[in-house]
Amino acid sequence: MSFRSSVVSLAGFLALAACAPNVHSSAIRGAGYIRLDEIIKHHPLYGQLSQLDDAIAAIGLQSVPRQVPLGASQIAAQTKELNQELQDAQVRANKILAQKQRDYENRENQAVSAALAAAGIHGSGAAAAAQMSGASSQQAAQAARAADSDLMAYQQNVIAQDSAASSTIAKQLQVQAAQEFRAKAEELTQNETDLSLRLTQSDAAARLAIKMRLSNLALDPAARKQAQDQLAAINAKESAQIDAQRNADAATLRAYRAELDRQTGDSIRNQVGAIHQQTRSKLEERRNEVGSQIRSLGAPAMPSNVPPDVQARIAQIHRQFIGEFRADAAKTIADYNATKSDLDRQFAALHGADVGATGAAGRELDALQKRRGELYQQMVAQVKNDARRLAKERGFSIVFSEIWSAAGGYDLTNQVIADMQGQHE
Amino acid sequence: MKIRSAILVVAAASLAMWMAPGAIAADLTDVGYIDQAELANLPVFIMANRQLAIYKSQLEGQFNGQVKRARSDADKQQIAMQFQQQLNDKQREIVGPLFQRATYAIAAVSASRNLTVIVDKRVVIYGGQDITKDVEAVFASPQAVQPPAATPPPSEIGYVDQSVLDGVSKVQTANNTMNQFESTQRSIFSAKMATARSAGDKQQILQQYNKTISDKQDQLLKPLVDQTRAATSDVARKKNLLLVLDKADVLYGGTDITTDVQNELSK
Repeated sequence: MSFRSSVVSLAGFLALAACAPNVHSSAIRGAGYIRLDEIIKHHPLYGQLSQLDDAIAAIGLQSVPRQVPLGASQIAAQTKELNQELQDAQVRANKILAQKQRDYENRENQAVSAALAAAGIHGSGAAAAAQMSGASSQQAAQAARAADSDLMAYQQNVIAQDSAASSTIAKQLQVQAAQEFRAKAEELTQNETDLSLRLTQSDAAARLAIKMRLSNLALDPAARKQAQDQLAAINAKESAQIDAQRNADAATLRAYRAELDRQTGDSIRNQVGAIHQQTRSKLEERRNEVGSQIRSLGAPAMPSNVPPDVQARIAQIHRQFIGEFRADAAKTIADYNATKSDLDRQFAALHGADVGATGAAGRELDALQKRRGELYQQMVAQVKNDARRLAKERGFSIVFSEIWSAAGGYDLTNQVIADMQGQHE
Repeated sequence: MKIRSAILVVAAASLAMWMAPGAIAADLTDVGYIDQAELANLPVFIMANRQLAIYKSQLEGQFNGQVKRARSDADKQQIAMQFQQQLNDKQREIVGPLFQRATYAIAAVSASRNLTVIVDKRVVIYGGQDITKDVEAVFASPQAVQPPAATPPPSEIGYVDQSVLDGVSKVQTANNTMNQFESTQRSIFSAKMATARSAGDKQQILQQYNKTISDKQDQLLKPLVDQTRAATSDVARKKNLLLVLDKADVLYGGTDITTDVQNELSK
């Protein structure tokens, strides 16, 4: 190595030494730190991270649920309609229940009569059958009254539940409608402001020239009037354009409001229609459930003149009916539970819960967030490795990341960025 | 030769300044750290978490049943609060004693090594003393772990509780305003996004959205963040602290300057 090159090398080292901090000074005390967020922004993979962030944000924007506002009067009308449907359903259910009761009595009577006839019991047998049928009827009538009462209470409960849900929807959707409308109004106001600014800027030169002419005291009255007219014309032109924009915006807002209302109507009809359907199923299944309870009543008392083997046959007939009705009831209850789950889900959705609304977007979002997390961790690990190496080379005792604030210590952020970029150039 | 000698002398002096450790002030060597993830993997913590998860699952069943019977949103909220309280109580009952023992173990190890602050491993990139194994050993020992006899010695590492600072009136107002703004902008831009015809349009809308939010953050939050950091630095300097961390990263010791910063911010 020549003397000259030695001097150059040494000078370079000295320059470095002069620029480098004394990490053991009282202000630094061997402690360094990095600003991780800042370094990440300079990482070679930051572009990819940003793309993922954009994709996540885009899904977030696209999957904002488009909920439609609903007026309180509309809610009241829909609730009234719902109540009417429920009452109709009750009447229908009661009729069907009564018919089923009669069918049950007839079928059981026929089966018992046939059994008695087969056993050669006539006359008194018919009376016995009638007596047994009477007992069944009495029990069935009591059960029917209880069922009717139970169904009434159930119906009231369903109506109250639906009314509460409707009321909540009204409040939520009104707030959302107001937000959407306000957002649109703000957007249009911003457009008007932008237009005003653009016009002012575009006319600035002409306006300035006219004002300069007007400031000339020696201007003759005719020329002054002409200049003033020109200025007024510019102002009028701008005002006209802004007014036109404002009128157009007002029309846009009115149309937007009408569109919001229309969407609200569509949405509520769909939602309430679905509720009606569920409610009908709910009531019908409840009625079936009650019916099965009626059918599971104990066997009627046997007349004393019926031989034991015939009694056994009649009891077997009764058990057969009970078995059939229990099977029906079990299926009905299972269906009811499934419907109830659907209803609960629907009510939850109406109360604002996120129930699968995101769907495929949600799954895509999860996948993107996972990829984003992995990439970020990879970048952080690399940054920390670089920082660790620098810290060791420069003799630091400790280096922190993600500090809140620094009153001392040494900020290694720029060195890490330079080092990282140097490695990837 | 005179030039060469002179250069060598200067070089030697510079080298001495650069390389001599502790020549001016002693380095910060009283900082320890713990790998919390490793500690959480101790069998006793895993068992406690399992126990808690089972309890939580049972509680959720009861909660769902009660919520279905609730008549109003207020009822639901009340029920949710009650169940959360029950879960918190159970957590305290199951995990509380373990946390206390862990804290005593950290204090004991910290005292034996003359450490003034123990932080989470995540925030230490280089240096510091890893006391995870020592703490595990004390924690797992059959003997009772005694509570620390004295508070940890003063530390040059400070910390602030961000959740407390978030409660400062102007910070709260700014955060609320920002949330409101974001909500409004989301509505505006999601409506725009719905009418976008091409990927290019969507990209442009997204960029506008990001810029709108970012500009508002710069306008609304950045001044407050800067003010908070400046206030923190001022307090830290007055208290002769080197660095200030977030409370969430400090496990034991350190100097709490939250109240001082809060007072500065409230002025």
